[in-house]
Amino acid sequence: MSTEEKPAAAPRSLAEALRGRDDVALAALLRSRPDLITPVPTDLTQLATRAGTRASVVRALERLDRFTLQTAQALAVAADPASYDELLGLMAGDDRDPAVSAALPHALRVLREQALVWGGDDRLRLVRTARELLAPSPQHPSPTGLGPTVREATTGMSPGRIQEIVATAGLPSTHDSVSAVAALTALFDDPARMSALLDEAPAESVEVLERLVWGPPYGQVTADPAPRLRWLLDRGLLLPTAPGTVVLPREVALRLRAGRAHRAVEPSPPPVEAAATHRPQVVDATAAGQAYTALATVEELLKDWHEGGPAVLRAGGLSVRDLKRTAAALDVPEPVAAFWVELAYAAGLLASDGEADERYAATPAYDEWRERPDAERWAHLVTAWLAATRTAGLVGGRDAKDRTLSALGPGLDRSAAPEVRHRVLTLLSGLPEGTAPAPESVLARLRWERPPRGGGRGPAGAPFPAAESARQAPGGTTAGAGRGAGAPAAGSPPGAEGARWAGVPAAEGAHGAGGAGAGGARGVYGSVAGGVRGAEGAPGAGDGEDLRARVARWTLSEAEMLGVTGRGALSAHGRALIGAPAARRAEAEPEGPGDKLPVHHRPAPVPVPLSPAEQATAAAAAARLLAPLLPEPLDHVLLQADLTAVAPGPLERPLADVLGVLADVESKGGATVYRFTPGSVRRALDAGQTASDLHAFLAAHSRTPVPQPLAYLIDDVARRHGHLRVGAASAYVRCDDDAVLSEILADKRAAGLGLRRLAPTVLAAQAGPAGLLEGLRAMGFAPAAESAEGDVVIARADAHRTPPRTPPAPVPDGPPVPDDTLLTAAIRAVRAGDLASTTPRKPAAGSEPGHGEPPRTTAAETLATVQAAVLTGEALWIGYVNAEGGASQRVIAPVRVEGGFVTAYDHTADEVRTYPLHRITGVAELADDER
Amino acid sequence: MNGPLIVQSDKTLLLEVDHEQADDCRRVIAPFAELERAPEHIHTYRVTPLGLWNARAAGHDAEQVVDALVQYSRYPVPHALLVDIADTMDRYGRLSLHKHPAHGLVLTSTDRPVLEEVLRSKRIAPLVGARIDPDTVVVHPSERGQIKQTLLKLGWPAEDLAGYVDGEAHPIELVEDGWALRPYQKQAVENFWHGGSGVVVLPCGAGKTLVGAGSMAQAKSTTLILVTNTVSARQWKHELVRRTSLTEDEIGEYSGTRKEIRPVTIATYQVLTTKRKGIYPHLELFDSRDWGLILYDEVHLLPAPVFKFTADLQARRRLGLTATLVREDGRESDVFSLIGPKRFDAPWKEIEAQGYIAPADCVEVRVNLTDSERLAYATAEQEEKYRFCSTTATKQKVTEAIVRRFAGQQILVIGQYIDQLDELGEHLDAPVIKGETSNAQREKLFDAFREGEINVLVVSKVANFSIDLPEATVAIQVSGTFGSRQEEAQRLGRVLRPKADGHQAHFYSVVARDTIDQDFAAHRQRFLAEQGYAYRIMDADELLTDG
Repeated sequence: MSTEEKPAAAPRSLAEALRGRDDVALAALLRSRPDLITPVPTDLTQLATRAGTRASVVRALERLDRFTLQTAQALAVAADPASYDELLGLMAGDDRDPAVSAALPHALRVLREQALVWGGDDRLRLVRTARELLAPSPQHPSPTGLGPTVREATTGMSPGRIQEIVATAGLPSTHDSVSAVAALTALFDDPARMSALLDEAPAESVEVLERLVWGPPYGQVTADPAPRLRWLLDRGLLLPTAPGTVVLPREVALRLRAGRAHRAVEPSPPPVEAAATHRPQVVDATAAGQAYTALATVEELLKDWHEGGPAVLRAGGLSVRDLKRTAAALDVPEPVAAFWVELAYAAGLLASDGEADERYAATPAYDEWRERPDAERWAHLVTAWLAATRTAGLVGGRDAKDRTLSALGPGLDRSAAPEVRHRVLTLLSGLPEGTAPAPESVLARLRWERPPRGGGRGPAGAPFPAAESARQAPGGTTAGAGRGAGAPAAGSPPGAEGARWAGVPAAEGAHGAGGAGAGGARGVYGSVAGGVRGAEGAPGAGDGEDLRARVARWTLSEAEMLGVTGRGALSAHGRALIGAPAARRAEAEPEGPGDKLPVHHRPAPVPVPLSPAEQATAAAAAARLLAPLLPEPLDHVLLQADLTAVAPGPLERPLADVLGVLADVESKGGATVYRFTPGSVRRALDAGQTASDLHAFLAAHSRTPVPQPLAYLIDDVARRHGHLRVGAASAYVRCDDDAVLSEILADKRAAGLGLRRLAPTVLAAQAGPAGLLEGLRAMGFAPAAESAEGDVVIARADAHRTPPRTPPAPVPDGPPVPDDTLLTAAIRAVRAGDLASTTPRKPAAGSEPGHGEPPRTTAAETLATVQAAVLTGEALWIGYVNAEGGASQRVIAPVRVEGGFVTAYDHTADEVRTYPLHRITGVAELADDER
Repeated sequence: MNGPLIVQSDKTLLLEVDHEQADDCRRVIAPFAELERAPEHIHTYRVTPLGLWNARAAGHDAEQVVDALVQYSRYPVPHALLVDIADTMDRYGRLSLHKHPAHGLVLTSTDRPVLEEVLRSKRIAPLVGARIDPDTVVVHPSERGQIKQTLLKLGWPAEDLAGYVDGEAHPIELVEDGWALRPYQKQAVENFWHGGSGVVVLPCGAGKTLVGAGSMAQAKSTTLILVTNTVSARQWKHELVRRTSLTEDEIGEYSGTRKEIRPVTIATYQVLTTKRKGIYPHLELFDSRDWGLILYDEVHLLPAPVFKFTADLQARRRLGLTATLVREDGRESDVFSLIGPKRFDAPWKEIEAQGYIAPADCVEVRVNLTDSERLAYATAEQEEKYRFCSTTATKQKVTEAIVRRFAGQQILVIGQYIDQLDELGEHLDAPVIKGETSNAQREKLFDAFREGEINVLVVSKVANFSIDLPEATVAIQVSGTFGSRQEEAQRLGRVLRPKADGHQAHFYSVVARDTIDQDFAAHRQRFLAEQGYAYRIMDADELLTDG
């Protein structure tokens, strides 16, 4: 940043290089990398720093076309700085491919313009971050398939080994490793000496080199390499990187490749090939026909959902079943139905109604849309389609979490979609009128313009792994937010931290420096965009075709369905829709610096969709072109005796509406075939039409006399229509004397009862039976109530009863007085217990029980004693713990022992009981004297 | 773009009849599109895969079809539809059946993956034999029909280039003394002969028998003719003796009563499908001679066992004749795949316009049930309802009124239920022909009717087909076989023979109002309505007061 230097002198940093640019060039930079001015940097140093951040560089690299990216990749493997000649050598090879030589200045210009490369032609420098991203490393193999340089590969190698290599390669030995490596590098760089060296190589060794030359440059070797490998290793043509791994040094590979950094360079974009050519009139007419069908389909969809559309899933979106049903109703495959549904949604014609029981329904905007002229309605739809980030093509697929993506549901936004759509249409507009492109060539062109990252062509075709760029997206957010807070981010924060930072509330970002609002906004935007971009990586990679290609495919088919294209070729109104590309290009031209390129290397116009205002103008222009091509609505139909009506074209709306009620649609398309059935005629009568209305309507709109069977059908249905009447009444009044009923009806006091005469002897009432009885009594009548069976209900105070209930149980103050049986039993129990406690007993072996305490014996002793007792039939005194843990003493006479249980007569309880042996704490024989 | 044709998204084509280019357009689309409906203003054609493949078989290619649509269409034709048509037509001919000098019948493919695909199908596997080379596989000669049918269902129709056997030659000539084949009959014979096998659809009374005779004269070989019943067989014989060089002795009848096998043999479906001990003994008839031509009369009635057997006869020329190729069992496509595609089809109204069939006035007379009948109808068992409402006593009065109105003309009263017919016969003092009437008696009555000795004849459904009553001018249908469309058409056919005095024919269908009779009637009339016959609807009271 030395200020003494004149701008003309060679810049020493990117910032200086930027400082040397004029405003137009800076504007070009900021136009191509808009992320650099959100928020607006304070000075050029900050701009340069920001342009060097990892996120921003990744973003810029992603947007390069294949050739320019290849140029950047070549620079990344060249020396830093490199001269233009070196670069040209890498790109065009030793034989200087003229096509590449011609295209290279432009690619370099783009890289310079985007501040990815700076410095004069003698000292080209790739921005450091870009270099890091693109330079080959064992983790991220470069798409060039080149390995590390000799110097890099020999780092850490013992000086002795290096000297050996140098000697074997036939070079004079040096004393330090640095000069030895330099000598080796010089040897490899020199074509003459190198070919001399290779001439000596055994054929098998050359084969090994050939296998590695286009990458990947790494190979496996055993501890004791074969002679052909040994030969190469000895001369440094292969260098060990890790135990068992060798690499082909970059210089050797380049020499073997005749200097080329890439196996195939594509200096010029692949042309979009024509698949078929139709007369422009045919194209326009077909497109117009399809445009009309699109309008009809959207209307039909919303008509189908007219009375309560399908329910909104809890996770949002349309259930698979509802989509199926809609597809059946529209008579289209499900993906197409999903497209129409999404289109209507994007155009704001349908939305969720937001009720508790959420359903989809047409919006008020739909009613307005319906009233507008056809061409304008079409323009509305296609404008929404062009700008939508929602992509219907994803419906039915699965997201990264393996959830099904439903139509109208979340997860369908793909931020690249509008740009791809616009680009595809622009490519189509580049073809002569009436020419339909071969879809594959369109996709190839798109892939050239923006090489797919991840997926697609495998790691070799990608500038960097998809995972990393996805991880970097939130990082970009961090940078934005950080700058907003006035803390310039100098470097690339780790992804994890980035993710955390992305959650910083906008308010916090707004806290810091002056341009705070922008920073905050950027933070929010960034996190959304980052999320979306992350989501794009996964499905794209999974399907084997990158997202842009898939969107492009969908664009081609959707454009056909919308009538933007006809028979595959862009229609005149489609051309107008995307603006006039030729005019725009001329405008953009002078902005780029050094515009001296041959015409065919002119930059592909940056595929930016039009601004909303421009788009509106373009759409209006398209609508004007389309309008005369759309069929004129008709005011008549042809009625036929087989009870069908054919509308030989679109009908005027009121006519179509009435006919849609009066008849069922049998076939759709350019014309509509309606069929009259008794059901459909009844529907019209239900809708309030009378038979004479219908006759008049048909007579007015039929070109031909109304066939007799049709007239008869209407009369016949009308004859029976309304023959039976159904209504609701809460109560009725019945009286055999109709004079009384007339009297009631005439009475003013009866007004509140809502009475109506159904028959001479019956009145129906809106008031309930109780109210009616009361009202009539108040009027001085003596009505009687009738049951449902027609019996007179006897009005008597009805006793109210509970279901059967038991009376409450008394709660006594103490225990009830025991009866004799109980007392006897109790006494016996007390006595037995007493016997147990007072009986003098033999002390158990090995234990010395205290007086009156339960004996303690081991389990074995217990078992032995009990078994002995079973044989002798003696009673035993035991200590016992019950299930609740209460200890007691009992006198038992064991009967048998089995399965860990003792069955015994319990003297204490006076019954036979079973005791688990493990609960018996001890056992003792009763003293003999007791017997 | 102001053509007469509108291409609908459901692959129907609407042709505006009154358009100046309508006739040109009709000619161009006829090879690949099926005429589905022909009411007065707009005719509906349908484009089906079968139709497209038949067009391919007849030598049309996708380009022509697409051109035809684009040229005559009023609105732009959806691109997707054109692509679909091209794709569909492209499927034809990838597989073909050939006669191999060493291996007999073989299936060959120009597209190996397609052959692989079909050979993997479980349904194809049992029909083919050894693989001769990667593109050729042997087919059992007896499965020629079966494999064609199955391949059609798989969507890869095979082109049958194996040809036909000539059969045993037998001289047959048309004897055109005082009459000649009508232009459309000639056209039908020509189309059939050119196509090899197939179905000719002509309205009742338009002379299908002559198309048969013409085809026999083309084939000049022994012929097996399959007809619906004995009466019809006799008529065929009579007609053939009259119109061709064949003599009585050359024509055999193979029926329940007689079992003659002669150079030209006329057999009934009934005898062929008689089953004894689980087998069809009379199907041997197909093998009893080296037939050069097999003729199926009223092919829409072809019984299922004959279907099965026809599949094995693919090496012989087959001609199906019908007025109404609608089958309520939906097996039309089997007819097409086994007998052959439709080779000729003429809308009824077109033949009428040429004056070869009489114009007909179709009237549906609606009678009201009396109150007590309505109550009885409402409470009748579901399966009894149709019988009840279609035999209401009111119909009798109406029938009498109609008969009175056309007194002196030849009147047929046709019905389904014998009781009703007997009663009617009694009231009208007319003979009744029903199932139990002997053939001799039937023929006697028919003759008497022809001679004008009897004016009114009451017939049950036994006389539905192939009875030739030249001077019947009025038909009154009092009941029918539920909603059978072809029965209705056949019955109308009874009065369509052109009248000597250019009289208009009358067809009355008496229907009970507000009952299922009316629903069935509506269904029955659909075929004729689609052919452009507009039914007038009359109230019975109107008729009764007039009468």
